[in-house]
Amino acid sequence: MTQTASQTDPTESHASDDPILRVDDLHVSFKTDEGMVRAVRGVSFDVRAGETVAIVGESGSGKSVTNLAMMGLVPKPPGNVDSGRALFGGRDLLTMSDRELQDIRGRHIAMIFQDPMTALNPLMTVEQQLTEMTRLHLSVTRHEARRHAIEMLGLVGITAPEKRLRDYPHQFSGGMRQRVMIAMALSCEPELLIADEPTTALDVTIQAQIMELLADLQERKGTAIVLITHDLGVVAGVADRVLVMYAGRIVEKADVRTLFAGPQHPYTIGLLGSLPNVESNRDEPLAAIPGQPPDLSQPILGCSFRDRCDHRFDRCQNEAPLLTPRADLGGEPHLAACHADLSNTDSHTANANHSENGQ
Amino acid sequence: MNDAVESNETPLLSVRDLKVHFPFRRGSLFNSQKGVIRAVDGISFDIGRGETLGLVGESGCGKSTTARAIINLVPPTSGDVQIDGVSIAGMSDAAMLPYRRRVQMVFQDPFASLNPRMTVGAIIGEPLVVHSLAKGRDRKLEVLRLMELVGLNPRFLNRYPHEFSGGQRQRIGIARALAVQPDIILCDEPVSALDVSIQAQIINLLMDLQQKLGLSYLFIAHDLAVVRHIATRVGVMYLGRIVELAKSEDLYAGPKHPYTEALLSAVPVPDPEVAAKRQRIVLSGEVPSPDRYYPGCAFADRCPVKIDRCTTDRPELPGKPHAAACWVREEALAETPANA
Repeated sequence: MTQTASQTDPTESHASDDPILRVDDLHVSFKTDEGMVRAVRGVSFDVRAGETVAIVGESGSGKSVTNLAMMGLVPKPPGNVDSGRALFGGRDLLTMSDRELQDIRGRHIAMIFQDPMTALNPLMTVEQQLTEMTRLHLSVTRHEARRHAIEMLGLVGITAPEKRLRDYPHQFSGGMRQRVMIAMALSCEPELLIADEPTTALDVTIQAQIMELLADLQERKGTAIVLITHDLGVVAGVADRVLVMYAGRIVEKADVRTLFAGPQHPYTIGLLGSLPNVESNRDEPLAAIPGQPPDLSQPILGCSFRDRCDHRFDRCQNEAPLLTPRADLGGEPHLAACHADLSNTDSHTANANHSENGQ
Repeated sequence: MNDAVESNETPLLSVRDLKVHFPFRRGSLFNSQKGVIRAVDGISFDIGRGETLGLVGESGCGKSTTARAIINLVPPTSGDVQIDGVSIAGMSDAAMLPYRRRVQMVFQDPFASLNPRMTVGAIIGEPLVVHSLAKGRDRKLEVLRLMELVGLNPRFLNRYPHEFSGGQRQRIGIARALAVQPDIILCDEPVSALDVSIQAQIINLLMDLQQKLGLSYLFIAHDLAVVRHIATRVGVMYLGRIVELAKSEDLYAGPKHPYTEALLSAVPVPDPEVAAKRQRIVLSGEVPSPDRYYPGCAFADRCPVKIDRCTTDRPELPGKPHAAACWVREEALAETPANA
């Protein structure tokens, strides 16, 4: 696989062990009544074995579409993967036939979603759904598949799994359904798990249980996780590296500690500042980001964040900033797509409220 | 009674032993079981003028039903709701009308709570019609004033809800609530459907309006950080009851009830250094079902500090500034002799 030097991103070259997934300049668009919506506009990242990469962004930032595109799950039409590559084990997921993709989905790459009811078949028992996966991909006997299903349900913390096998999804609570979906996703021991807002619909105490469960399984099986979320609190707790997406592009990329200690893109700074905090002061207004994300059906000249940005200057109007390296604090290179250099300015003050709340 | 408002004046809103039970029947025609879901099971609180009471709890704990029962959107099974000392529970719709004007509501879903076939001007102006507050040109001027007040461009007067983003729609909902100049707004998860950056805009707007207009809020949310920011006092609900009620800073600095403690420890902190160090109390088990009757404390099954008494004897919330309904952690209860 040849790689043009200009597209090679310093984060990637840093990897000593080869990434198991490499996404390269991905573009995805949707045809709508309002025109062509360019949902993903050139996204590149990689994922290494055993690590957790978080993709953070607000609704419409393209974080989910990026992953759906990789899995061949963007509905066509209206969607279309315009260009780019997604290399998994040296093969491009984007040019594979449906047949080849089916061998990979579930077996090597599994997904879990925000709403377990969209992923579980309401007319099939949990046993049927769990054994379908292993029977299809691992060609085991029905008996073995059943034993494996019981084992998986036990692993995700469902009590008396042999009794619950015959139950239908509606007989489980929200948190338990999420566990069933995780059991399904992990039953073929995939190398990569894509978790799209896995805990957003759940209460915090249940959310804590699920995140703990994922971390535990990752440690035991060495699964790499791509975690798609809007919740920066969850990211801080579990991610190794973070990609911040805005209007279809990655605007900042760093390891988790660097990102939270010194965010370099005004959008990331704004996001962290707009979070109310368990320690925050009632008398101070939150540092809300004014305005709204741009309309992706219109062409975007320059920086997509400029209309909401305090640091904008002439150059931001017509030149889209590229991801460039920022102050190197050791470890992963820290990249941000911003013309302004914020390394010595208010990025640290904006984040000060959050780093002071040690207990 | 828990009169946490430390003054002698009549509280603006007073809720006493409010219960909302939903009877249900399940099973087949010949083998049916009757039961009752105790969505709200005896809660009491006061809200003073200019005050914000936050109600937090996980899904199904009855926090939204509480708000709905206060304005009779769901008829309460028993208990009393008073506005300025006047009891409104069980009032007829007509008698209730002047009180509805004083208590307004803002809903979670800005997509579902606005009529898609009405313009913004008509939506915000409708309460003025219902309560005969302004007509013709005056009404239009008032609507424009309200739009400006909540940060909506008055030029959008004739647009429809679908032309707005989530945050703007929530502003429309707030303008509609403000149209009748209420004393208190019941906010039911007003920001949880919004993205973080937009969420902060709406929180700032609500706090700004409170300053300007002297409003009181009942602020219902599951996000504890948001409630910490906006509320002066906080009530924590679990399975239809308030298990802890305190001033916001006291509750967050020193939670008494083991459930509050677990809840606070589970809130993700947006700081990797803190997240790596802190100890989470991970509860085992699921939120128990409100169709079961718990003679003791409903949290006992999941509680790390429970004693024998907790499963048989129900702890009531004592009337004091920082109160917890817990036999173990609340000094006021721990000293009382055990009896059934």
